[in-house]
Amino acid sequence: MTQTQSAPPATWSPPTPQQTAALQRPGTPAPRGAVAQWFEGTPGRMRAFLVLAAAISVVFGLCAAQGFNQSDGALQRAEANAAQLVRIQAIHTNLVSANADATNAFLVGGLEPAQQRQHFVDSMASAARLVAEAASAQPADRDALGQLNTTLVTYQGLIEQARANNRQGLPIGSQYLRDANATLQNDSLPLVKALVAANEKRVDTEFGGVGDGFWWVFVGGVLALFILIVTLRWLARRTHRYLNIPILAGAIVVALTMLIGTFALFAASGKATDTREGDYASTLALSRARIAAYDARSNESLTLIARGSGDAYNKAYDESAKVVEDQLRKISGSSEGAGLWALYQQSHADIRDQDVEKGNWDLAVKIATGNASATEKNSVEAFDAFDKATAKELENTSSGVSGELKDARNGLPPIGWLGLPIGILVALLMAWGMSQRLGEYR
Amino acid sequence: MKKLIAASAAVLMTVTACGSGAYDATEIPPKPQPKAAAAPAAPVPCTDKTNPLASYTPEGAMPQPGAMPAGSYMKKIFDNKRLIAGVSADSLHLGSRNPISGQIEGFDIDMIKAVAKAIFGNENAVELRVISSPQRIPVLKDQTVDIVARNMTINCARWKDIAFSAEYYRSGQKTLVPLDSTAKSTKDPKLDGQTICAPAGSTSLDNLKAENPNIIPITADTDTGCLVLFQSGKAYGISGDDTVLAGDAAQDPYAKVLPEKAFSAEPYGLGMSKAHPEFVQFVNQVLEQMKADGRWMASYNKWLAPDLGDLKAPPAPVYGRPITP
Repeated sequence: MTQTQSAPPATWSPPTPQQTAALQRPGTPAPRGAVAQWFEGTPGRMRAFLVLAAAISVVFGLCAAQGFNQSDGALQRAEANAAQLVRIQAIHTNLVSANADATNAFLVGGLEPAQQRQHFVDSMASAARLVAEAASAQPADRDALGQLNTTLVTYQGLIEQARANNRQGLPIGSQYLRDANATLQNDSLPLVKALVAANEKRVDTEFGGVGDGFWWVFVGGVLALFILIVTLRWLARRTHRYLNIPILAGAIVVALTMLIGTFALFAASGKATDTREGDYASTLALSRARIAAYDARSNESLTLIARGSGDAYNKAYDESAKVVEDQLRKISGSSEGAGLWALYQQSHADIRDQDVEKGNWDLAVKIATGNASATEKNSVEAFDAFDKATAKELENTSSGVSGELKDARNGLPPIGWLGLPIGILVALLMAWGMSQRLGEYR
Repeated sequence: MKKLIAASAAVLMTVTACGSGAYDATEIPPKPQPKAAAAPAAPVPCTDKTNPLASYTPEGAMPQPGAMPAGSYMKKIFDNKRLIAGVSADSLHLGSRNPISGQIEGFDIDMIKAVAKAIFGNENAVELRVISSPQRIPVLKDQTVDIVARNMTINCARWKDIAFSAEYYRSGQKTLVPLDSTAKSTKDPKLDGQTICAPAGSTSLDNLKAENPNIIPITADTDTGCLVLFQSGKAYGISGDDTVLAGDAAQDPYAKVLPEKAFSAEPYGLGMSKAHPEFVQFVNQVLEQMKADGRWMASYNKWLAPDLGDLKAPPAPVYGRPITP
């Protein structure tokens, strides 16, 4: 994500021989007089105006280039950071989903359902891949991701130890599982949350920066136009010729560049705002809803594992479920998520009813683990339906974000690299126009 | 003029820099500091002169299952359709979840089932709630469970908060070490400076410190938590009741229990709320019955005898504690 720098403002006009002389021989008394002489009288003023007008033209060119590069860069970075944010949230989702599998598998003991085991393996594999991708996409995240990787190695190790012991029917397996869960909750997820927060902030900064380019073009343009008009007016008064065509042409070029530029930047910033409030907001909300949903699912299993002393987990479930509902409400446009989540909530209510009210822990576990002998609608299927539908929606909104931001960038006129040439062109027009008048004094 | 250009260029560069893609590195959240092991509350000297093992003397004939006296706590349990018990799910042979059947089973659980059978005539009318060691007294005080069977030692200090049944098993504390350890006992200087784990808030921890002050005690939430620390090398050994250690050693072929005489007596009792002395009396009757008709011995032989050896007779009950409101 490097930004193309505009060329340094080096060569707007060659230094005059006098200046060079002054620089070369600082000790001699004469040169100062020579420079002063050069700016003396009406031709001197003309030269002074020429220098000022030419300088401001180049500065305007640079401002326009800067403004466009800034907005263009901000759009590009907003897209890159939004992609990184989606990546980090995908890591988060994969981790909580793997953990939900692991805790749910605990309820069935050493004989894990093959499908669930596969889902766990797939989730951990995608998380590992995404960590590597994210580290190369954003150097600033590298340290945190490195730490995250360390905790994930520990987590996975503990899970495998838990499985090995469970498979042998040793109760210590459950302790390893608890430790694995604690590692994920206390070591891994705080890192992921820090990464999410940092990237959200970066996206916000860049979205906010898209509009800044407008001011460069606008202020640069107004300033340049002011100086050019003052120059024109002064010339008109002093020389009694109302219009100097080249200088007027220069002023028109500046005005047009400014108009087109500000309009384009204004439009781009509007598009960015639309994306931010539309697809980007939906992406955020969907990601958060999915993460909270997996958390809730883990807590449902943990409540059952705790066998009646799981009040804390059940409270955590309720909190997560509320987050899911709140986030789903923020999604613009239609979403199947809310309806499917309500269905899952019903199976959850069944589980709680069996466990707490009827004291039938075994049936509650059967519903929660999708055991075929439970006649109630099982929560595994209900959750899968929610998971699949929201995953699809998330894919649509996140590709929407990058598509829209790309469109906004492609819609920008090429002032980013034309800015300086335009500035130089206007400066040359100034020199041409002024030299016509200066010639009359020779 | 050159100065002007240089200055404006410098300004441009500075402004551009703030719009570039260089970000501060993502802040890594500080690791939560492990809570400094809270200084254990100094054991309050027990002024109670009653023998700690003495429970409430049973009165009258034992009611038949399903016919609990009106107004008694047993009747309340009966109406609730289940006995709610706080148990361990990870102490092999005492109370542990059988991963194959998913059921919690063991010597402690057999005691609970006997109580349920005496109330309902059905030993499965039980709701087992898994609790940790430090939770044992709080769940009884706020009465979220009716009874606790979780290798709980009867002592004078605990009698202040809860009531105990008569003793149902006499355990003692020993120490588990790696198979290659040459230490002979917990007092052995070879253990000096080694980390030994005991569950937080247990009597084992206090006994261990008293037995060998030179070891470094560390704690875990449960007995099994200690075994994990042992297996991961964070604890050199585990100190605890011989019943628990036998279960630990059964899960780890690289561990052995030191061949020493138990350095403390750990009489186990079923914990109940102090508010229902009639329930305590009832449970005492159940235990007496179990010990008399051989159910107690059968359970011991099933769960504990393979590791701890044969036992001649169950511990004799001690009664005579006055019922104080």
